[in-house]
Amino acid sequence: MIASRRTFLKTAALSGASLVIGIKGTRLVNAASQAAGTAFQPSSWIRIDPDGLVSLTIGRTEMGQGVRTSLAMLLAEELEADWTRIKLVQAKPSPGSDLGTGGSDSIRSGWKTLRQAGAAAREMLISAAAARWKVDRETCTASHGKVVHASSGRTLGYGELVNDAARLPVPEKPPLKAREKFNIIGRRTARIDGRDIVTGRARYGIDTKIPGMLYASLERPAWNGAKLKKMDEDGARAVNGVRSIVKLPGGGVAIVASNTWAAIKGRAALSVEWDAAAPNEAFDSDAHVKRLEAASRETGFITRKEDAPPDTGPVTKTIEAIYHYPFYAHAPVETMNCVADVRENRCTIWAPTQAPERLQRLVGELLGIPRENVEVNVTLVGGGFGRRLGVDYAVEAAAISRAAKAPVQLLWSRADDMKHGHFQAASAHYLSAGFDANNKPVAWKHTKAGSYHNISPLDPEDQRNIEWYQGWSWGCYDVPYAFPAVQTAYVAVDLPVKHGPWRAVFAPSSVFAREGFVDEVAQSLGADPLTFRLDMLKGADVIKAGDATIDRRRLRRVLQTVRQKSGWGEKLEKGRGRGVACNAYFGYTYIAYVVDVSVDQEQHVRVDRVVAAVDCGLVVNPVGVEQQMESGIIWGISSVLGGEITFKGGSAQQNSFADFAVARMRDVPPIEVHIIGADAAEPFGMGEPPVPPIVPAITNAIFAATGKRIRRLPVRPEMLAG
Amino acid sequence: MAKTEVTINGTRHSVEADDDTPLLWILRDTLGLTGTKFGCGVGVCGACSVLENGEAVRSCQVPCSDLAGRTFVTIEGLSPDASHPCQKGWLEEEVVQCGFCQPGMIITACGLLKSKPNPTDADIDAAMSESVCRCGTYPRMRKAIRRAAEVMRSKGNP
Repeated sequence: MIASRRTFLKTAALSGASLVIGIKGTRLVNAASQAAGTAFQPSSWIRIDPDGLVSLTIGRTEMGQGVRTSLAMLLAEELEADWTRIKLVQAKPSPGSDLGTGGSDSIRSGWKTLRQAGAAAREMLISAAAARWKVDRETCTASHGKVVHASSGRTLGYGELVNDAARLPVPEKPPLKAREKFNIIGRRTARIDGRDIVTGRARYGIDTKIPGMLYASLERPAWNGAKLKKMDEDGARAVNGVRSIVKLPGGGVAIVASNTWAAIKGRAALSVEWDAAAPNEAFDSDAHVKRLEAASRETGFITRKEDAPPDTGPVTKTIEAIYHYPFYAHAPVETMNCVADVRENRCTIWAPTQAPERLQRLVGELLGIPRENVEVNVTLVGGGFGRRLGVDYAVEAAAISRAAKAPVQLLWSRADDMKHGHFQAASAHYLSAGFDANNKPVAWKHTKAGSYHNISPLDPEDQRNIEWYQGWSWGCYDVPYAFPAVQTAYVAVDLPVKHGPWRAVFAPSSVFAREGFVDEVAQSLGADPLTFRLDMLKGADVIKAGDATIDRRRLRRVLQTVRQKSGWGEKLEKGRGRGVACNAYFGYTYIAYVVDVSVDQEQHVRVDRVVAAVDCGLVVNPVGVEQQMESGIIWGISSVLGGEITFKGGSAQQNSFADFAVARMRDVPPIEVHIIGADAAEPFGMGEPPVPPIVPAITNAIFAATGKRIRRLPVRPEMLAG
Repeated sequence: MAKTEVTINGTRHSVEADDDTPLLWILRDTLGLTGTKFGCGVGVCGACSVLENGEAVRSCQVPCSDLAGRTFVTIEGLSPDASHPCQKGWLEEEVVQCGFCQPGMIITACGLLKSKPNPTDADIDAAMSESVCRCGTYPRMRKAIRRAAEVMRSKGNP
């Protein structure tokens, strides 16, 4: 077993063998200068060993967004490290740590702290070398893991300097490199885990094996809150390899076995009957959609209101529409899984999770032990997309391990994963636009009816201010267009099934509705939809909407880029159409798409081409930006043309990729990505921003091809017939 | 429950498992070869693909009772050092995101290139569209396969 971080830091400090700098928030601490016995537990640290190896703890979960590579790049740049001699260590939760991964925040938050840590270590190593050589430290430079004294031609490797450097104080404000001196940031950089992945050596949560581990499969209640009515265990007990059958407090029944197949077979042989849901408890998505639609017509909580200036003419014509967004599953290819080892008052967890602290807290609460007694090992994640911010599968695994008195791996089947997700919740959007007597659009209204996430407790009512409500309606209150009058609102509708963050969280539904309806406004004016958007982005260059600051110049620039690169305005043959949409993700990352589609005689839609422009500020790794653009675009193709989740009798109806379809290679068109604005001073996130505007760009293209306005997803041939 | 002889990555193993145990779980749980992934268990996602006589097969659909005397290659057996043209193509085209489906995808690509050393884009799409990548690495996989095909043709060996 690997020594705990605390033990390690103490050992490192006492031996003085390595240079260890802890990062706690924005504070940097030299581990060697810590008084013995102080509880120094930084969530992240860098360490340079006498052999020159640089270790970096990564406080974020790698789930495909390339964060292990890009964060290492930030550190290596300032440290002037040898890129081939960097080792990554995954951070574990500790008091005060903040390891959650979501909201496309990793690069934005790591930009300052990691560079500072790297720069501090570099300065200490330079000082150590200058002292050894008895030269002015200004005459020394660092490069590729060495300090160089150019005039005398002497060099010392970092490893040779760590012992001396560890005795120096950590500089408080080490100088950061000017961007024209960057060697690593901005360079195309291969994924640090790439070789491990293509050789099958990379270890995900599901690949965890520990001595004595048993395997579990869990039969869950058919609907939320259902009670076990009848169970016959005989069939399951007869299965070779089944060790025990465990009833969980939440109502599930787990089969614990000596191997995965025995657990799966045992579960299949188990005969269980659940109490039928009472009609008022049996959630039905069709009925829910009707409730959402009615709610979207209510006034709701006003999240933004701007009255038209006095010289604006009165509204003489109004158009309105309701847009619907369905339930979706995250459907990562690695299903939910967790290894838990509960022993007396301790628990060790290995989990593919985006929320290690939440996991630690909830497992601690379940077992009635202090959270510090729950050690959480974060593994590589086979697709996160927000699903693994929920930690239900880890709490289940801990409950099973406690009952089975053995380390247990719980593995969800594909059907479990489809039916028991923390789904993207359905929502309905009422939109209206008012025009004055000259047919000028003068008023915009967007009311979102959605549901508060129920994977974590809600804030008390007295804390629910306007920012709180804006927080549930990204893409709605931050409409970037210059309508003289704007009103946005939010209406909450109860939703009993589990739902939570999905890739880009609240934005995809709002942006689908907003960008679809902006197209309808342009259509009603007979205006070109791209030119109309540019016209509506005139006026103030920078606007504030809640906590978002939107720079319309950046949004105009991505729109102008796709107009030019796509050949916008060309006449297309019958059955083909071209659509546009754009979005400013919190005013951070700006994206515009032009999409070409064709619709065949059976009304099947095919995406033929996507031209994209992205401004995510300074680019850390161009490969990562391109990958996330492609990924978000393909995610959107799945949303428009793939599956949805529906509920009957309280249960999700879908079971696998056969009935919840996601995009396959044949569905993917040529994608052209133009990165602009990379001369900016700081970087922004890329995991989520590509998702919201792609769906309306596709549905607007379908309108251009067919004249059918798409206000419901996913798009089915029957919606386009006639 | 019976003993069965099966060859994996050139090594003969005598495995004991229930007749209906899928090869997938023998690889993962019995032999510790976790590079082959579980994604659906019902043959619709391709994450568990392995090679038999150069063809990709879904290990979740091969029961233990059918294993006797057969020979399979898993992602771990493709090369010890990522030197197989498909693995190299994958690295050179910067394909991977989360990476979970990628062993199955690489194996599927190997199967395609064995039967069609000079695949058209339609051949690539047809073979690869039986598998799921939720991250959307498809455009890069296409390029990686074309690159691998070229290398394999110029070397004259599949």
